[in-house]
Amino acid sequence: MSSDQDHLKETDTEKRFEFKKEEKSAFEAEKGLTEETIRVISEDKDEPEWMLERRLRALEQWHELPMPDDWPGAPDISEVDVDEIVPYIRPDIETRGGVDDWNDLPEEIQDTFDKLGIPEAEKNALSGVGAQYESEIVYQNMQERWEEKGVVFCDMDKAVQEHEELVREHFMTKAVPPSDNKFAALHGAIWSGGSFVYVPEDTSVDMPIQAYFRMNSDGMGQFEHTLIIAEESSEVHYIEGCSAPKYSEFNLHSGGVEVFVGENAHVQYSTVQNWSKNTYNLNTKRAIVEADGTMEWVSGSMGSKATMLYPSTVLKGPGATDNHITIAMAGEGQNIDTGAKVYHNAPDTKSTIESKSISKDGGRTNYRGLVHIADGAEDASTSVECDALMFDNESTSDTMPYMEIQESKVDVAHEATVGKIGDEDVFYLQSRGLDDDDAKQMIVAGFIEPLTEELPIEYAVEMNRLIELEMEGSLG
Amino acid sequence: MSTQVHANLTAEQVTQISEELDEPEWLLETRLDAYEALDSLDMPDVIRTPGRDWTNLDALDYETLVDPLEWEQEKDRVDAEGVDVLSWADALDQHGELIEAQFGSIVDPQRDYLTALSTALFSAGTVVYVPEGVDAEDVKIRTTMNSRSLFNYTLVVAEESSSVTILERQTTGTNVDGEAQRASDSSSGGEPRDGEQYYSGIVEVAAEENSSVQYGTLQNLDDDSYNFQVKRGHAGTYATVDWIEGNIGSRLTKSNVETRLLGDASESQIVGAFFGHEDQHFDIASRVWHEAEHTTADLVTRGVLDDAARSVYEGVQDVGREAWDTNSYQRENTLMLSDESEADASPKLIINNHDTEASHSATVGQVDEEDMFYMTSRSVDPESARNMLVEGFFVPVFEEIAVDELRDDLDDLVVERLRE
Repeated sequence: MSSDQDHLKETDTEKRFEFKKEEKSAFEAEKGLTEETIRVISEDKDEPEWMLERRLRALEQWHELPMPDDWPGAPDISEVDVDEIVPYIRPDIETRGGVDDWNDLPEEIQDTFDKLGIPEAEKNALSGVGAQYESEIVYQNMQERWEEKGVVFCDMDKAVQEHEELVREHFMTKAVPPSDNKFAALHGAIWSGGSFVYVPEDTSVDMPIQAYFRMNSDGMGQFEHTLIIAEESSEVHYIEGCSAPKYSEFNLHSGGVEVFVGENAHVQYSTVQNWSKNTYNLNTKRAIVEADGTMEWVSGSMGSKATMLYPSTVLKGPGATDNHITIAMAGEGQNIDTGAKVYHNAPDTKSTIESKSISKDGGRTNYRGLVHIADGAEDASTSVECDALMFDNESTSDTMPYMEIQESKVDVAHEATVGKIGDEDVFYLQSRGLDDDDAKQMIVAGFIEPLTEELPIEYAVEMNRLIELEMEGSLG
Repeated sequence: MSTQVHANLTAEQVTQISEELDEPEWLLETRLDAYEALDSLDMPDVIRTPGRDWTNLDALDYETLVDPLEWEQEKDRVDAEGVDVLSWADALDQHGELIEAQFGSIVDPQRDYLTALSTALFSAGTVVYVPEGVDAEDVKIRTTMNSRSLFNYTLVVAEESSSVTILERQTTGTNVDGEAQRASDSSSGGEPRDGEQYYSGIVEVAAEENSSVQYGTLQNLDDDSYNFQVKRGHAGTYATVDWIEGNIGSRLTKSNVETRLLGDASESQIVGAFFGHEDQHFDIASRVWHEAEHTTADLVTRGVLDDAARSVYEGVQDVGREAWDTNSYQRENTLMLSDESEADASPKLIINNHDTEASHSATVGQVDEEDMFYMTSRSVDPESARNMLVEGFFVPVFEEIAVDELRDDLDDLVVERLRE
């Protein structure tokens, strides 16, 4: 792998993902997680009393809840020691809530983001950019025409101040309560930054809204919170991309995502995750879908040392739909444990889960998913498809679906396959003049196409480039 | 661990069982080791999802159910030419060394609390010994349970290039606890009623090079029975271990059917069928470990649920690092006849070798409306139509059952249940 890394360093793309910046921080909370730390964070953000109370309650739950380490085949997360993580850091800039114009950003941060490609994305007329440098959103822009229609896209800290009622009603109350799991509780206690999206009734945001999150500080955790509220008959596509520079000390990422899909509304949440390979990526993402609404999760998990991520959807209203497309790729030393959860709690609800995974160089992927059909959810249907490709004999590919069916008038299907890359396919492509590596890359690109075709072109290109980088020189 | 039977179970009782059966010293020691391990062992694993245990084994009151010194039963053994089908006493007499070498080598006596309990207390069972080169068909073992609890132990040793088909039936006799009163039907939860029984069975199969063992079980215990079974086979080079697992009876069944494919080019097929009704709970697992090259496994299970019955299915296909050129398939289909029933399933793939072709599929559904419409339009009354479709649902599993007698008996039980 080291020779691959040397090779990577020579490429332009390498620079985009493997750079570090000198840290200059205005504020650094002391290490360790105590009530005092929580109070400092809350006070520093000038939060209302109810938010402080929620943080403190979540902290209690963090102490009480067990580590998710007794699941069959659970990744080893024993190295995660929250006391060693400086949970809160914000960049040294003048404006607390971020700036509205790109040129107001400090040069150093601009430089960092240039390498991540944000200005390009902006130029490409995406409808908004929120870029998170360390823990706080430092750059926000929402195109004026959406603002006029009442669409809100701002950082979460600002939303607590400016959209207090909406946040108070939805923030970690219904979708992801801190009691859900230990890391949701941790997130609830020390969350910082993230995005708030509000789309009013009958409004369709026809360009994707995007935000980049990264970690760029030694031993630092990232706990951004995303709250998306799509009112009746609205439509929005939110994209989150992650890329973190490499550091020797471990990092913890424990984000929270809550999505409220109103009646007949349509929300797509897409994410490509490329955390550095020493990051523990433990997220909780959940959507609640009202009648005839549609939720779509599109996720690519490329980076991190260990990922535990199972985007969940509660189909609450009749006729609600949920679609998952998930792609995981695990290389040397990586354990990507990901999947999807769907609760069918109403009649005529539908869900599809399409999971693709690639494991190589000793990496492990696992699809872990749950489909629950409650009694009374008549005519619910669900279809789960998991396909896995393995490149070599050091790697592991697991599939662990769970189905709980309490209603008889249903249509439930689950299918999974695991195999190596087809010799015949490679032979065919070679006979057409491709060399072995190119042939395999082409097969992989075809394998993950269901994901890439759901993404805007810049993301699809980035995704393909990431996979190329991951695969270069590593194919047998 | 919750209510544990060993609170009033003593080493003396274990010794007494062993002495009554006139066992050699090593077996008594194995029993006593298992007995002593009870304190530190957990209940068998059950599947858990957030907020739910798929099977609650702790609700059973083993203390009331288990009477270690009472093992009233009837054994009906039909042997085939060239095969020894023996009681434990006879088997220990004739094949002492062989049994000492094999006993507990396939099913770890201390794999969990209930297995250890079974090892410590077993008092009934059969040893099937198939000598090298012998082809035997239709060994039949019928166990009728006539006591409150019965711990049964079966050991099958198939030597090189031999083959054998074994059919095992478990039923409940009529005179269980003669004075059994079934007065309080209002019992709730895990509160045991009079008339409840506990059957615990362990089956070990050693299939040596190029041998073939087919082991079929038809479990039709009384609806008041609790049933725990571990069946596990080791398949040597070119060997085949096939299991057929039919579950019709019992109130709660926890069944584990497992094969380790240890020899190159070994194979295993696990065929399962169940039909639950009323408040029956079937927790059924089929597991295969591919641990050598060119191995093949095929897991097929079909089940029907009526009334408030619940099924829990786990299928595991585990492909080891050295299992090159593996083929592994799994299918599970459940048909729900009632809205009160619940079908839970978790088919798992654990793949550590990329030279593998593995797949699994699982479905849950109801009787197809169009099929019903077709049948009724042909003037079949709705009930008969449904019954025919349910019987038809089992056909793909029946087709996998190579043993005519077992297939016919299972079919009869399905038809009988449909008529109820």
